[in-house]
Amino acid sequence: MQEYSSQAAYDRGEAVCVIGAGASGLIAVKNLRENGFEVDCYERDTVLGGLWNPQNQHSPLYPNTHLVTSRSQTEIPDFPMPDDWPDYPSAAQMLAYLTSYAKHFGLSEHIWYGSEISHVEPVEGSRFEVVVKPAAGNAARRLRYAAVIIATGHHWAPNLPSYPGLDQFRGTVLHSSQLKDPSRLRGKHVLVVGGGNSGADIACEAAVNAASCVHSVRRGSWHLPKYLGGEPADYALARLNSRPKYLRRFLTDRLLKGPARLAARMGVAADGSPSEEEPVRNGRYMEHVGDGSIQRRGEIARFDGFDAVFVDGSEMRPDLVVLATGYRPKFTSVEPRLLGIEGDSPYPKLYARMFSPRMETLAVAGLVEPGVGVLPIVHWQTHAIAHWLLVRKSDPERAANFRLQVRSEAEQDTARPAGSSPRHQLAVDAEEYLASLGRIIDTLEQEPAK
Amino acid sequence: MSLAAWVRRARTPAPAPVKREYAFFEPADLFDMDVKDDPEASPVLCCTGDPAGASAFNALWLKRIATTGRYAAAVSVRGQGGTPAAEGGLEARAHDLVQAAVTVPRQTVLIGHKEGAAWAALAAGRYPAAGLVLVSPQKVPKQPPTPVGGPPVLIVVAESETQSKEVQAVAAAYGTAPLTFAGSPDDVFKGAGAEGLLDAILSWLARKD
Repeated sequence: MQEYSSQAAYDRGEAVCVIGAGASGLIAVKNLRENGFEVDCYERDTVLGGLWNPQNQHSPLYPNTHLVTSRSQTEIPDFPMPDDWPDYPSAAQMLAYLTSYAKHFGLSEHIWYGSEISHVEPVEGSRFEVVVKPAAGNAARRLRYAAVIIATGHHWAPNLPSYPGLDQFRGTVLHSSQLKDPSRLRGKHVLVVGGGNSGADIACEAAVNAASCVHSVRRGSWHLPKYLGGEPADYALARLNSRPKYLRRFLTDRLLKGPARLAARMGVAADGSPSEEEPVRNGRYMEHVGDGSIQRRGEIARFDGFDAVFVDGSEMRPDLVVLATGYRPKFTSVEPRLLGIEGDSPYPKLYARMFSPRMETLAVAGLVEPGVGVLPIVHWQTHAIAHWLLVRKSDPERAANFRLQVRSEAEQDTARPAGSSPRHQLAVDAEEYLASLGRIIDTLEQEPAK
Repeated sequence: MSLAAWVRRARTPAPAPVKREYAFFEPADLFDMDVKDDPEASPVLCCTGDPAGASAFNALWLKRIATTGRYAAAVSVRGQGGTPAAEGGLEARAHDLVQAAVTVPRQTVLIGHKEGAAWAALAAGRYPAAGLVLVSPQKVPKQPPTPVGGPPVLIVVAESETQSKEVQAVAAAYGTAPLTFAGSPDDVFKGAGAEGLLDAILSWLARKD
């Protein structure tokens, strides 16, 4: 058993606990404060900004990380990025943006840095007892909160594949998050594993820096350049959604025809229809495949001493293997059952992708991959969560009705076939999810019936 | 701001960026021992429909606001003062004002004068202002967006305007009774009337803090 500094938990009354001070956590704190809640935000690291801060020890940034969605689709709806910034800001600009957001709304005074949440336990019906373990060796503190919002993100626990012989491989093996410095690629023969955004970005980085670059992918994926028709691609595609429905298909096909033909020529096209999963957004990748500085290969069969052997029987001798295989969602403090995590799958099953199915006052912010900028989605999620907590406090009858509505939204959501790969469990259709969020917010903001 | 309004805005072309002219005054710029920067008080961002733009506030407003310990700023939207003209109407000017608001160090009060009141009203629908002050509002949309984050709203009009339909419509839209000040709606930047007006606004801001 753990030693506690005092036996009794300190009761924080109606205050809300937010776990994590990354982008989602900051937005949650701001929206809860705006709705009159007292908030304590706990951050395991000593800096804010989460994945965008290279000083964060769990930061997944790789050399030259840029946004893959454009500025206008990624900025927080009520705090726009400066309009003289580029269409695709860099990680450093993203951190500056989040820092100024925190400063502008005075969020830092509500954040406790270096405080890891070791345990969250439901007590007294809907309240939570939270055990905070400071990094600096002090005894843990116990506090009670009216609600807990988990904003720990899903880009910090690397997903590491296992290949036969990988542990005896004689070269260097790094996960994409360990490759902090592009000079590690220089002059090496590099093998990049993984066909996602990070894989394509690192392959492009290696194409210009390394002696040679081989990119191993299990299957084709949908590639999208960063610009389409003279506009940022996500903006150009999202704009088509405001067209009449019968034109939408035609206009989308016309816009995607060029990139689709190029992908087919380069042999990187996906099998299914393009809209089912999140695209890889990279404008340079195809050019590097086209000039031969990236060689695409299939899946790796095994590692053998200095060599990597592919499924098609070909071999290569890489100096450096970069595993750009993404991340797994990981929840360290909350009992998985509360988030609907069952069986072997690490992926939670939440109502409307944010509310816990078991506890009314437990919610998760930012656990979606909508294929568009996540920040606005998190903004509306936390907006809904804050309003939900308000409604729950003031009007139990409406709260019960709302709960029913959310459950039915959740059922509609699961009726849709899941993505083709386990990685795409978190993927949602942005259009549908935003509409569903809009319905939820409308219900919560309605004037109570008199 | 509603989700639907945001979706609509994210799917319309953003106004062309312009290099905006700012004027600002911090309490420390006064070199006055008695004035202390008040970290609790919200900064103030002003705009006006007057073509002079931000520089109109230099005569009296910015210094007077700074003496209350607030960071005082003013912005010229496109086509005013030192800011180049660019395409775009009301929405683009509201965009300029929001862009100016996010550069202020903390959550800011928006003060709009004449057409500036319309821009401030639209900007408050997109940015959670700490307060919204409309001075002699003109050309405010019939149904202004609900201010984000529920800031307190103050409407101040000249005595001559109190009976105008436009002012009454704005007051009805925000559900507040307008405060009146002596003098002409065009003559708010200097003179005795201006000081009275400014003191009324500042005491209203201080009351709510």
